Amino acid sequence: MLLVDIILPGLVLGGMYALIALGLTLQYGVARVMNLSYGESLVAAAFGAFSLYSGLGLSPLAALLLAVPVAMVLNWLLYRFLLERLMRRGKDRGAQEIDSILVTFGVLFVIQGAMLVAFGGQYYSYSYLSIPLTIMGSTLAVNRLVALLFAAVVGGAVYLALTRTRIGTAVRAIAVDANAARLVGIDVAALSGFAFAFGGGLVAVGGVLVSMFLTFNAAMGVVFTMKALVVVIMGGVGNVLGALVAGLLLGVVETAVARLVDPGLTLAATYALFLGVLLIRPTGLFGRAAS
Amino acid sequence: MTGPMRALLWCAALVLAAAVVTYPLYANGYYLALGISVLYFTILATAWAMFSGPTRYISLATVAFFGLGAYTAAVLGETMPWPVVLLAAAGVGALTAAITGLSTLRLSGIYFVIFSFGLAELIRQLVIWYEVNIHKSVGRYLFSAVTQDILYWQLLGLTAIVFLVGWQLGRSRYGLALRAIGADETAASHSGIDATRIKLGVFILSATFMAMTGAVMAPRWTYIDPAIAFNPTISFQVVIMALLGGAGSLFGPVLGVVPLVLLFEVLTATLPNHFSIVLGIIFVLIVMVLPNGVIGLFGAGRWRVPAGGSATASARKADATLLAVDGVSKSFSGLRAVEDVSFTVAPGEIVGIIGPNGSGKTTLLNTLSGALRPSSGTIRFSGTVLNGLRAYQIARLGLARTFQLVRVMPDLTVAENVAAARLFSTSSGSDATGHELLDLVGLGALHEAPASELTYIDQKRLELARALALQPRLVLLDEWLAGLNPSELETGIALIAKLRERGLTIIMVEHVMDAIRALCGHCIVMNAGSVIARGTPDDVLADPKVVAAYLGGDDA
Repeated sequence: MLLVDIILPGLVLGGMYALIALGLTLQYGVARVMNLSYGESLVAAAFGAFSLYSGLGLSPLAALLLAVPVAMVLNWLLYRFLLERLMRRGKDRGAQEIDSILVTFGVLFVIQGAMLVAFGGQYYSYSYLSIPLTIMGSTLAVNRLVALLFAAVVGGAVYLALTRTRIGTAVRAIAVDANAARLVGIDVAALSGFAFAFGGGLVAVGGVLVSMFLTFNAAMGVVFTMKALVVVIMGGVGNVLGALVAGLLLGVVETAVARLVDPGLTLAATYALFLGVLLIRPTGLFGRAAS
Repeated sequence: MTGPMRALLWCAALVLAAAVVTYPLYANGYYLALGISVLYFTILATAWAMFSGPTRYISLATVAFFGLGAYTAAVLGETMPWPVVLLAAAGVGALTAAITGLSTLRLSGIYFVIFSFGLAELIRQLVIWYEVNIHKSVGRYLFSAVTQDILYWQLLGLTAIVFLVGWQLGRSRYGLALRAIGADETAASHSGIDATRIKLGVFILSATFMAMTGAVMAPRWTYIDPAIAFNPTISFQVVIMALLGGAGSLFGPVLGVVPLVLLFEVLTATLPNHFSIVLGIIFVLIVMVLPNGVIGLFGAGRWRVPAGGSATASARKADATLLAVDGVSKSFSGLRAVEDVSFTVAPGEIVGIIGPNGSGKTTLLNTLSGALRPSSGTIRFSGTVLNGLRAYQIARLGLARTFQLVRVMPDLTVAENVAAARLFSTSSGSDATGHELLDLVGLGALHEAPASELTYIDQKRLELARALALQPRLVLLDEWLAGLNPSELETGIALIAKLRERGLTIIMVEHVMDAIRALCGHCIVMNAGSVIARGTPDDVLADPKVVAAYLGGDDA
């Protein structure tokens, strides 16, 4: 069944993309940082899970308990000591965006360099729960399904936290208009730092989950950053449901291209989709009209 | 500067130039290789800053064009004469830049940055795909007779060309237009600047230089594969160098190239494994500590604008109607902000548009000036249908505007703000120089001040001067008098009256009724998107419908 062979793995991959993009949309939509080192954080978390599994025999799901708090603290420090200064220095949104892009571009090379020193340039993978499972005539490894399940639970929890809690509402208010949020008594600086750290935690979840079924190396962060950015923009910045739909769409399209055309052209497919959406709807599939 | 002093400087420059040109004759292999690195990064960083400096569209795709050039040379190098190879590389770079630019430069800057971020990776994967599936081998050998000396001189020639072109660009009107776009793209378009085309043109120019550099450098490797040609570190190094030196000026990037090439040389020798970490840390430090680059420390480097020559005056056509608005509507997905508005404006008239907040006045102005496209209806301006024209085209026809929330180009000086609006002006109208216009609005003493340092009132004056610099026949003033104190208001009203005496036609959206009474012969009252009354100010202000619209109707 070719169709199932495309749709099922496509949805698993797309679910991962949606989760990864969710973190980026928090970092960009709320904290106003277009984080180009995002994919490197993901690969770093994947290496962390790999080390814990192959060194200590710790299951990747248990590794989450360690990886997420560590990632959140590191991201918070990054925001507090580098990015927040730029936010205060930038005269307008444009200047802030450019400065944060440049600084995270530098951070990208720092993280990537550290990983190259520690792990070299070769590809890594490990075998955890790679038991084949046949669903509707299509074979899928159990680890992929576990990853998808975790992504769904985490994503759902974040969505509920953003829409149903006071702090989540405050975070969304900052995403809409940081100055207005300040006027109604929201501590924008503190919450932006929190949102940035939270986004970093989400990408760590993504990295650990992805490591269970993909091979990875120190240099492939750029590809993940690109895909997360494409999903965020397609879904509309700050739009959680938009990111979900866009992520799933991207996953299915990529899998289809890899199966039907050539695995070497998946990034080209990502770009084509990205450009198509931008040219037709510059504010994203579900974005608000231009302000 | 005294005469002997200047002669000395000239001599020093000549000696330096001679030393640079004859460098391969006395430098040994290692130092020659270092010189080659300095030159090729100088070209890349200068070409990068040519586009990204003034527009602030950060391009992370340098290596995409550089690698394409190198690959073109590797593919064609053995079968074609060298000049053809160079031209082909330039063409491939320009074509790729055109396609990329056409699809992303129309959008806001952030999309361009993101796209450029992945462009090198995309092209690398496409090249690998092509080589594996069609050429059936990933690497290519390039044997050529080009020695290091010849390579050096070729790069030197290209360096000279890039500086010459950059210098010419900075002096030309396109240089100022590019900076105006970087400062405020909307204001630039309404000043008659075709932002998309200028950005695209300069982006292609910059990419062409990068591709040619790649082609010239290709023989240095003898073996080329996509990992070498599209090494992302090159993009990164170019951005660091340009930023360290200062991307806002022509010679800024060079100041960053020399120290960093030397530093990278030391780093690769001493810390080969930690190269990328140190590189990243240096980059972060530069962005944090030196936002304007080394050249910013000296406060220098801004290109001066040539004094704007005045255009020729020509007789104005005596149309009975200057502007005819017929049945114009504008809706935003269901919300009808402007509904079936029609009116005409005769030359020399001042028409007031009044109405409560949210009644659609600014939306109407936006459809007239090309910021929005009307959903239906036609707008004719001295016989030309404006529907579907872009903002810059409308501005060039002689329809200028000011903005409700004042928009000056903050990084430009007062004089440059006005000069920016004269760059592409073709319309006939009042013939005044930039200085006269600034004197007219009362900014005569502030020519060289950066626009961002002006007070609110002075920024409004500057906006008006900029609108007048288009030599317009019709000016749209969107609450230009709002927020002025009583004495400023008096000056403002007198100024608008003076403009009318000079033959200018004006449409003013205004809440200051004293100004409406004093200036307008004719008034249009809008409420909830529609025209509810028209006539002389005294008549419409006495109209019960108008009173109800402002103060609430029967149901209030």
